[in-house]
Amino acid sequence: MFETIDYVQASLFFGAGVSMGFGAVGAGLGEGYAAGMANEALSSRPEKSGEVIKNMLVGQAIAESAAIFALVIAMLLLFSDTSGQPLLKAWAFLGAGLAMGLSAIGSGVGAGLPAGNACIGIVRQPASSNKILTTMLIGSAVCQTPAIFGMVIAFLLLFLDLSAIPLHPGWAAVLGAGLSTGLSAIGPATGEGFATMEAVSGVARHHETNSATNRMMLVGLGVTESTAVYGFLISLMLLFYGFEESHTLTASMRLLGAGVCMGFGGIGPGLGEGLTAASALRWIARKPEDTGTLSKTMLVGMAVAESTGIYALIIALLLIVVI
Amino acid sequence: MDELTNISQITYQLFGYDLVFNVETIMMTLIVMGLLLVFSFFATRKIYIIPHSVQVVAELLVNLFWDLTKDTLDEEMAKKYFPLIFSVFLFVVCSNWLGIIPKLGEPTKDLNTPLGLGLLGFVIAHYSGIKAKGIGGYLKEYCEPIFFMVPLNIIGELAKVVSISFRLYGNIMGGAIIILVVSNLVYSFVLPPVLVMFFGLFVGSIQAFVFTMLTLVYISLQVK
Repeated sequence: MFETIDYVQASLFFGAGVSMGFGAVGAGLGEGYAAGMANEALSSRPEKSGEVIKNMLVGQAIAESAAIFALVIAMLLLFSDTSGQPLLKAWAFLGAGLAMGLSAIGSGVGAGLPAGNACIGIVRQPASSNKILTTMLIGSAVCQTPAIFGMVIAFLLLFLDLSAIPLHPGWAAVLGAGLSTGLSAIGPATGEGFATMEAVSGVARHHETNSATNRMMLVGLGVTESTAVYGFLISLMLLFYGFEESHTLTASMRLLGAGVCMGFGGIGPGLGEGLTAASALRWIARKPEDTGTLSKTMLVGMAVAESTGIYALIIALLLIVVI
Repeated sequence: MDELTNISQITYQLFGYDLVFNVETIMMTLIVMGLLLVFSFFATRKIYIIPHSVQVVAELLVNLFWDLTKDTLDEEMAKKYFPLIFSVFLFVVCSNWLGIIPKLGEPTKDLNTPLGLGLLGFVIAHYSGIKAKGIGGYLKEYCEPIFFMVPLNIIGELAKVVSISFRLYGNIMGGAIIILVVSNLVYSFVLPPVLVMFFGLFVGSIQAFVFTMLTLVYISLQVK
């Protein structure tokens, strides 16, 4: 038979693999898109190559941070101390890997998209390249927030003292915590990427509307992010709520179910709200005088799109607290 | 690979609580402050119409950030907040660059430094929000667009602090880890200096700029 330390070690390695493996997906995609768009931009105006390549590299460096976060967690997992750890830590390490790896997917894609559009925008309007760069930086930095939630949960799972939590149903709680933040980050981060992309194009078209566009972009991104925040909340509840020891399968499954429910429930609304914000921002940049009407429609539409995310939140809360 | 988890700490007992000081971080922060003081002293010691070497660098930076601050806030507000924004940038960029000197480490590699800076920005943004809009107007912001969004808005504000500080920390820590691992793999041959240039200078300056811009944007969201 295996000892506890074998399980802990095995899950450390598996968690590190999951973290870096999934974490590489999104950043690669996003950076590839940015490079492709830079090529397209240069094909129309090769003489701007210096500026476009600078912008592409800056954008790619930001998209890369999600993968760097995944690397940090993978390295910490690889070099963690395994001796004397309870069996629950094995599950926690696996959860940490899942939380970081999955949540890095969306942020990598989301931060890469605006970089591509900024390259196109700079060749069209070289005079406003600084404003384009600023909008891109702010937007893609906000796109990273879901990956940062994933990193926070991964840190908690790595370093938190879990000895107060019983193994049953604790294993389901830590795994659910990882899945909830990880999965629910995918949608919002990608959606924020869509929105930022349009904001960047908008600023490139009409640079004088940049402050209105930036402000509305941040409002849109803030609402788009809400399902990632729900996922983060459910993870924190799963970690800190405190459960009684129970060896029945139902007790474990309701906690795992809560994590999975919020995780998947967060993807769709995030993407949808991102698309809403993208379209609204495209027209706000073109017609800043209609910002009031457009933003009202945007917020109402987002509130409706969010409702499915709220259903998932309610079911997850019911699973944790009531049943 | 022991360097990864090796943090020198001093713990004091005070009223039954443990006060922990990370010695390396404190030392490095003091070094950064010293460097910035020296830089500012030489940049402003003798100011000419035709600027001399250090003055040119300082003027370039001040101009860049003055334009950015003016674009984001109004001219009146910009005058008030520009010194803060510029100091935050100088401090963070200097901290991120400190790692390229052998035997020195970035103070931003320790989560406490970015978290402190993030909280500083948070408190200043909210204080100026209350001052600009009055306590009623400030509280009304939390009920936008509908009143039951209050809890979400509060979490959203707190999430800003978490994200701004963890972003800086994760990037700098990640760069340090990559350099450490690659140096071990290739026995410090050729590759590490290139990586130090990329992660120390390039990523370090981008992240410092992002940190500063986000602090500025959060303030502008509160005062407008």
